[in-house]
Formats: sequence, C-alpha cells, structure tokens
Amino acid sequence: MAQLCILVAWQLVTRSGVAGLTVPTPASVIRVYLQPRFAALLYRSAMATVSSAAVGLAAGALLGSATALVAYLLPHLRPGLDRLAVTVNAIPAIVLGPIFILLVSRELTPALLAAIAVFFLIYVAVSSGLRTASAGLSAMLATFGAGRWQLLRYLDLPSAVPSFLSGLKVSVTAAMIGAIVGEWFGAPTGLGIVILNTMQNFEIPLMWAAVLLVASISLAGYGAVHLAERLVARRFS
Amino acid sequence: MARVEIKGVSKSYALNRRDQVLALKGVDLTIADGEFVALLGPSGCGKSTLLHLVAALEEASAGSILIDGAAPALLRDQHRLGIAFQEHALLPWLSVRANVALPFKIAGRAVDHARVGHLLELAGLEGFAEARPGQLSGGMRQRAAIARSLSLEPTLLLLDEPFGSLDAVTRRRMNLELQQIWLERTLTTLMVTHSVDEALFLADRVIVMSGRPGEIIETVAVPFPRPRRPDIMRSEHFHQLTDRLTLLLEH
Repeated sequence: MAQLCILVAWQLVTRSGVAGLTVPTPASVIRVYLQPRFAALLYRSAMATVSSAAVGLAAGALLGSATALVAYLLPHLRPGLDRLAVTVNAIPAIVLGPIFILLVSRELTPALLAAIAVFFLIYVAVSSGLRTASAGLSAMLATFGAGRWQLLRYLDLPSAVPSFLSGLKVSVTAAMIGAIVGEWFGAPTGLGIVILNTMQNFEIPLMWAAVLLVASISLAGYGAVHLAERLVARRFS
Repeated sequence: MARVEIKGVSKSYALNRRDQVLALKGVDLTIADGEFVALLGPSGCGKSTLLHLVAALEEASAGSILIDGAAPALLRDQHRLGIAFQEHALLPWLSVRANVALPFKIAGRAVDHARVGHLLELAGLEGFAEARPGQLSGGMRQRAAIARSLSLEPTLLLLDEPFGSLDAVTRRRMNLELQQIWLERTLTTLMVTHSVDEALFLADRVIVMSGRPGEIIETVAVPFPRPRRPDIMRSEHFHQLTDRLTLLLEH
C-alpha cells in the first residue's frame, strides 16, 4: 500500500515538472521495460551483472569462510589474518578497480571487486560465529572426550551458521555494488555499463530502469537469504 | 565402575597479577566403587570446582585426583565419563535423540540405537525423541541431559546441580526418576547440589563443604535403604538429618 502511494506521488510530482528533467515518470520507466529492444538489453546486462556478483559472492564467501577457519584452527595466525582482512577492506573498491583492470582483465574485475567486499564481511561473520558457542556446551563436549576437530564439527561449525547467514545477507548487496563498480571501469557489458552510458547519453528513463533493476535484484537476493536465515534461526533456538 | 581418590586437593585462581583466591583447600575424599556421593555446600564454596577437577575440565593447583589409579583425563579420553550440568547443555539444533546419541559419535563408535531408545524410554522421552530441546520443558531437557550422560555406559557419573534450575515439585519428581535410573545400573556417582533434601534422598554419603575456601567440614552417611520412597522425606530420621545438614550449611 505504502509502495503504491509512493508510486502515485512520484507519478504526480514528475508529471508536474517540479522535479526537473532528470527524474522520469514511473510510467515512462515501465514503458522501457515493455519495449523489447530495451528489455533485451536490460536482460542481457542483468545476466552479466548477476553472474559477476554471484561468482564474486561465492568466491568471497568461500575464501572468507576458509580464512576464518584457518584463524580458528591456528589461533596464533589470527591477529595477522584480522589485520589482513581489515587492510583489504580499508582499500576502497574504486581504487582497486583500475589496478584489477590492468592486472587481470576487464571481464573479471566486477567479480573480483564483489569477491573482495564479500570476503571481509564473511570473514568477520564466520570468525565471530565460530566463537559464539557457549562455554557450557564446549565443556560438555570436552568431558565426553571431544578433540579439536570434533569440537569444530559438532559445536562451533553449526553455531556459526546463523552468523554466516547474516553475513551472507549483507554480502548479497555488497556483491552487487562490487560488480557494478567493477563494470564502471570498462567491463564489456553489465547493468553498471548501462547506467554509465545512459547517464552520459541522457537516456533518463532507461537509466532509471537499470537502477531500479539493480535495486530489485539486490533486494530479491537479500530477501532469499533472509528467508533462509529465519528458517535456520528457528532451528537454532 | 570406578573408584575416585582425591588427596589434598587445592585450587586457587589468579584474580590479577598479585592476588589469588583460594577456591578449594586440602580436600580429601574417596568415593568407593558404586557409591553415590553428594557434595553439599553454599553457593561459591567450590563444590562445582571440585567436580570440574574430577571431570578434567580444570587442573588442581595442589594435591592429586586419581580415578581407578589414573588421571581423570584418561577416563575422559576413554569416553568413560558421564556428566550432566545445571544448564542442560543440549545442542539446540539436534533432536533429543541425536543429542543422546552424540557421545557415541564423539567416541567414534557406531550409534547403539537400541541403547539410545532404551535411555529415552527410561527418561520418559520416547514421545519426544524427534523434538528439539527448545520445544521441551526444563524438566524434560534435564532428563535428556541425564540420558545423554548415561549413553556410553560410563564408569563414573558426575552431576553438577542437574536440577538446580527446576521448581521444587519438578525437582522432587526428577529425584525419584534419577533414583530409578540409577538403581537400574548402579554406578559411581558424584553429585553437586545445594539442596539438602536432594542430597539425602539420593546419596549414600553426603559431604558438606564450607564456604570459601572450600573445605570438607562433615561427612554424613545416609542410612536409608533403597529403593527410597518419597515418604522417607517425611520420616523423623530424615528430618533430623536435614536439620543437622542445614545447620552445618549455615555455619
């Protein structure tokens, strides 16, 4: 209902011309989606962006989890790994873009930037998740004779699942941002490229259509993980 | 079954660089094969610490603890130790059945489904085997924890205020059930409690500890034959012993 009100208000405001030329009416944005030519372009670009973001999400999640596990299993490496993760995160993606373009390739830069953003979020989430198990539960497992690996398998790994999922939830949007920023540095295709080109060519409705598509994809991914998180949370309480 | 020998055990904790707090001081205690000993004392008297030392969760600062002549860690590593804590310490994401079967997995043995089923039945949980701990009442959770402590047929059972978080009525019922479980297969048991009734109802011997530093101040042999029925709690003798122990606790 609230969304509908906003949509109607938006239509009225933009139709009246108060907002100027750069804000299109919702109707004109919807018309973009209905035009086969634009729809095909948006679909193709969205596929490229989503696959970059997905590859980045998977790679970042895998690497972040693995690094967190190393920090868990080799506690004396932990301070160093923490610093590494913080340093990687402290470098803005926008600065890394040109380096990756030159060092790796145009095609891979979006996925790489997505992976870096996700790596940090997942590393933090998993390494704190691995420490959430209560002392009582560890003591219980210890008295039954559990070793380090069994403690990991039966207690700390399952305990980290909710934390991993909340990390993954924010990672979905971070991966999309990473992919879009990566595309701006000259990827061959993608929604980031569409946004950049339409901005420069003043194709306002198409630009908004692309932006709204990015937001919808991010939200859908966020929602999907959120749903998984809720299902898991029910099991873990 | 196991015989526990505790000799001159002290335990101190460092508060900071200079100060130490003495939790246990010169504790001597021998638990015979198949004996049920209750450790009674005011909260903070170190009775749980003593139990943790026997469970090899902590190490004594002085003195020695031997279980069948060996260090407690050996018993633990051989998966012959059963333990139930005040907090049930069940894994929330596993079903009750999987929780009771967990010690088998930790020991790297095939799960004895018949035994797990029998323990669930013994604990009155056969209808709740597939439920998760979060779906059970506090009493049921404690019963599940006790069932789990027995799954590997331990030679030594340690109970750390297993019913401490329950209301008085449930607690009394639990005591009856625990006695039943215990009578089925007598095993050396050390139980920490601050309930005089519970100690007298269940134990062969009640050891009273003083407040910090924890020292044994009295040993009371419990004369009631088993199986003990709840009405012994109303007998003159039970009241006399209760009064005596309560007085010692207030010391």
